[in-house]
Amino acid sequence: MSGGAAAGSPGPRIEFAPADDVPIRYMDRTREYYEALGFAPYRWAHFTDAPFTPLPMPLARARVALITTAAPFQPGAGDQGPRAPYNASAKFYQVYSAQVDSKPDLRISHVGYDRANTVPEDLDAYVPLRRLQAAAAAGRIGALTPRFHGAPTNRSHRVTMETDAPELLRRCREDGVDAAVLVPS
Amino acid sequence: MGLVARHLEASGVSTVIMGCAKDIVEHCGVPRFVWSDFPLGNSAGRPFDPASQALTLELALRLLESAPAARTTVASPLRWPAEGWKRRYLDAGKLSPEEIAERRREFDVVKAVAKAKREGA
Repeated sequence: MSGGAAAGSPGPRIEFAPADDVPIRYMDRTREYYEALGFAPYRWAHFTDAPFTPLPMPLARARVALITTAAPFQPGAGDQGPRAPYNASAKFYQVYSAQVDSKPDLRISHVGYDRANTVPEDLDAYVPLRRLQAAAAAGRIGALTPRFHGAPTNRSHRVTMETDAPELLRRCREDGVDAAVLVPS
Repeated sequence: MGLVARHLEASGVSTVIMGCAKDIVEHCGVPRFVWSDFPLGNSAGRPFDPASQALTLELALRLLESAPAARTTVASPLRWPAEGWKRRYLDAGKLSPEEIAERRREFDVVKAVAKAKREGA
């Protein structure tokens, strides 16, 4: 690593991290990219506060649900392999649920992950199902619910807030959920 | 996903998001967030690295237990193993006019396909 900066006085050199090694500004990067292509800017959801519900019991007694944006493989919906280009045919627009012990075949060709720098060949890197099952087996969490849920990646904030989120809440309540781990892909 | 977390949390379910897009998730405003400084698509840890995945989940579980307030972000200490990846993501500055036109056509197709699928859902 280079990028160390002399602090202007004698003594050991201070080795800072490179100045550009900071969180990527995805909103700026995306806005610039689509503006260059001639599209109107997307408006990201934005609130300056957030609700908060402290976990009401020890985690070792809590029922935990997993919510993912990954999509079940859909035969006939085009290339959904790890090197597939962005595939809108593989999107889904209704909440789904599936059994956690069904070894689900989940793909992310329908979302804008970083195709320049990663290849999604390991499900465990974007859907922590096996790790959650291990946490339940070890008693770290009280239980993983028998089913996990899929959240649609809908561009419409209104649909997400008024249709999908309430449906996910309904299913979580059916399952007696105390806490949810949400993992966008 | 941020909007879903907010809805669940406001309805009495404690939530934690695991993700890579720090600015987008924090812009939304969520109760608890484990941020991994990895390329998008690796929210749950490094691929084929079970130890990194276990650590990332453990950070999420600890946040569920102990976040003192809403909008708590924990940054994973893990690093992505390759250099230079941050410069390569969606870099429109390197595209020729022909490439821009081609990408625009591709995105128009994507939008039309998504619209048809959405309306058929």
